[in-house]
Amino acid sequence: MRDRRLPMTVIGGFLGAGKTTLINQLLRQPQGQRLMVLVNDFGAINIDAALIESAGADMLSLTNGCVCCTMGGDLFMAIADVLDRHPRPDHLLVEASGVADPQKIANAAVAEPEMRNGGIVSVIDGENGSALLDDPQIADQVRGQISCANLIYVSKGKPGTEFLTTLKEIVPNAGFAHTAAEVTAFTELGQDLSVRVEKNAPHPAYVQWSATDDAQFDAKGLRQALMNRPTGILRIKGFVRGAGATGWLVQGVGRSIDITSIPQPQETQLLAIGLKENLNTENCHTWWRDALRRHDELSLED
Amino acid sequence: MNKVTLFQARRIVTMDAFQPHATHVAVQNGKIVAVGDAQCADRWGQDVVRDDRLRDAVLMPGFVEGHAHLMAGGIWRYTYVGYHDRIDPDSRAWPGLTSALEVTDRLRAQHSLLPAEQPLVAWGFDPVFLKGERLNRHHLDQVSPDRPIAVLFSNLHLMCVNSAALALVGYGIETLVEGVVKDADDFPTGELQEMAAMFPLMRRLGVDFRNLAQTEDSLHAFGRLAVQAGVTTMTDLFSTLTDDDLTLMQDVTSAQDYPLRIVPVLGATGGLPEEIAARVKTLAEHNSDKLRFGAVKLLTDGSIQGWTARVRAPGYVGGQPNGLWNIPPAQIHDLCDVMQREGIQMHLHANGDEASEVCIDAIEAALRKHPAPVDHRHVIQHGQMMDEAQFRRCAELGMVVNLFANHLWYFGDQHVALTIGDERANRMDACRSALDSGLVLAIHSDAPVTPLGPLFTAWCAVNRQTMTGRVLGQEQRLTVAEALYALTLGAAKTLKMEHEVGSITVGKIADFAVLGKDPEQVAPEALCDIPVLGTVASGKVFLT
Repeated sequence: MRDRRLPMTVIGGFLGAGKTTLINQLLRQPQGQRLMVLVNDFGAINIDAALIESAGADMLSLTNGCVCCTMGGDLFMAIADVLDRHPRPDHLLVEASGVADPQKIANAAVAEPEMRNGGIVSVIDGENGSALLDDPQIADQVRGQISCANLIYVSKGKPGTEFLTTLKEIVPNAGFAHTAAEVTAFTELGQDLSVRVEKNAPHPAYVQWSATDDAQFDAKGLRQALMNRPTGILRIKGFVRGAGATGWLVQGVGRSIDITSIPQPQETQLLAIGLKENLNTENCHTWWRDALRRHDELSLED
Repeated sequence: MNKVTLFQARRIVTMDAFQPHATHVAVQNGKIVAVGDAQCADRWGQDVVRDDRLRDAVLMPGFVEGHAHLMAGGIWRYTYVGYHDRIDPDSRAWPGLTSALEVTDRLRAQHSLLPAEQPLVAWGFDPVFLKGERLNRHHLDQVSPDRPIAVLFSNLHLMCVNSAALALVGYGIETLVEGVVKDADDFPTGELQEMAAMFPLMRRLGVDFRNLAQTEDSLHAFGRLAVQAGVTTMTDLFSTLTDDDLTLMQDVTSAQDYPLRIVPVLGATGGLPEEIAARVKTLAEHNSDKLRFGAVKLLTDGSIQGWTARVRAPGYVGGQPNGLWNIPPAQIHDLCDVMQREGIQMHLHANGDEASEVCIDAIEAALRKHPAPVDHRHVIQHGQMMDEAQFRRCAELGMVVNLFANHLWYFGDQHVALTIGDERANRMDACRSALDSGLVLAIHSDAPVTPLGPLFTAWCAVNRQTMTGRVLGQEQRLTVAEALYALTLGAAKTLKMEHEVGSITVGKIADFAVLGKDPEQVAPEALCDIPVLGTVASGKVFLT
């Protein structure tokens, strides 16, 4: 089963943080999907000639299926253009401008029924990033860009302990990624809703947890259960049995959760990933077991 | 030699200090060849054609609007439902609407005119001026339960829609989307806030802000608005210019009967400073009589009434957090450095006083590194909170200012009560201080943010009155003569065009504003009531 909505991941971060470098790397990664990237500035995209299939004034097609476009004067209308493309890409990456609030862009994917929120990756300059937080003219804006992140990608060296502590204070639930491959792994999960572990061996930096059972939920109960999920979970997806002919498609990123009704699935299946350092899969087992038990109890009371 | 046309007027206010008044002006090939009395064209031989269509009018130099946007024309494809009276490009008057009921009445009238399959889109709505219940889907459902209706707020950051429009996206009781406002029963009220929540509906209704600027219709509407306001030179002060846009603008403006000189100022965005500089230089190679490229615009902060302007201590009176940079200070410095080095004039949008301070700092730093060109004439646009100290620095650095005088009327009361308080509101858009500091001064409308109308803008700078009749800082008032100078030569200087336009002087382009009354002879309070009969652009007469 596939989720046909276009997932959108926002790459945020202040000017000079290293967003373009990350995007250059992401475009070079072997992709299992047709990735489309909307960038502010085409000039800075620097791809080996061997990888380029065709290049136009505002579009670059790569041999690995990726497409890179400039967004022009209006980001949201550029996203609308992507939705009108045939065929649609499998995944949309948007480079937020260096002063944008990435959350305000990600909200578009929550609002648009043909899209889903693929999360926010904020890029932080490990060496110079802390100085931005000390500059009274821009600190608040930078802090805002960090606080909405699901995944922090550290570019340019390692942040010091003090800076790392500050970052974790600003955004306690975010994971930290150190390579482009880890960012790709974060964006990839979600298209194919199959949760079989062997099909989805995660990137070595991640751990994953899955469950398959015949549990049934109503929308409210399911939302409640998912709201309580362990904080180390970066992404969660799957489908859950409901009552009668209706079941639920679940897509969660960070602390946000999206529940959509679908035809009743055969069984309830969930898959979650998180970074090794943040997620203990034992906690996932415990959480889901408790969720099922609490739900059963509530159902009995009814 | 082409024929000479001699225009006769009741009076001509030339704005040329050497010959302030006249009754006749002679024009050849779109340029002024003589100014004076009925005999002034005699030395140009017998081939003089007398044109007395303007004999009862008062002529001034065509007004120069130094801060407007092309969207001022294009937005009129939608129905106007704002609080203030406006006139559309086809000269139709749209009275301001003062209640949700009046808004729905107007929408109902439009609804009956539209083909069934077309959505009804309106613009200019601003609930801050309305009493009574806030506009919601129930009001709009009374207009039509079936046709999707969207009412855009004047700031374009919010809209209110009816149930049919909500259903198009599927916004309902289960929707959990930031910006989709809910009522007590958890159902959407119809109000959608910010682009993320608005864009799913906009794409389904075919509302695309990009199409409001660079289209043939918008360019023609822009030209007609100019004629109505007496404007013959106008900026599009944050142009996004693709190659297609350039071709379109060239096609439209090169027509003999296009009434306006457009100064498209390239938005400094979407590239490195060097790339932006290269782009504007390429554009400038395409300059023609009615299309003038060559400058760039830096959008540094937000707006004061939206609490997004960057202000210095003590900040906003309601304790709101300081505003947002659209270009952060370090990048402003980079852009100023490269543009000054490349000899490119900059228009720097700076509403708050922290933003104007950073802009002045950045230009000072750039000038230390690249002293030439000396006559760079970088412009602070809006500069609404600038004080004498900032003006003095601007003057020393060779900068000029274009202040947002219309704000005093439209938002002055809000600034006193909600944004920056009495003291700073009283010295907002401090035109007097700017002139006293020796600066070249222009004043502007920022159309379509406020309506295009230089004489109204002059009225604002002369009277400094708010909508409730309060006078904001009478010490900052301009005289009528100073205000008229700001609309003409002052604004022309901010565009480096004073050798071509801005006064009725031999050798300059024959651009005139055709007025029903003499601005020098009416009471200062009546400046805004002077009828504008049309323009003469490059010697060609356009009457409304």
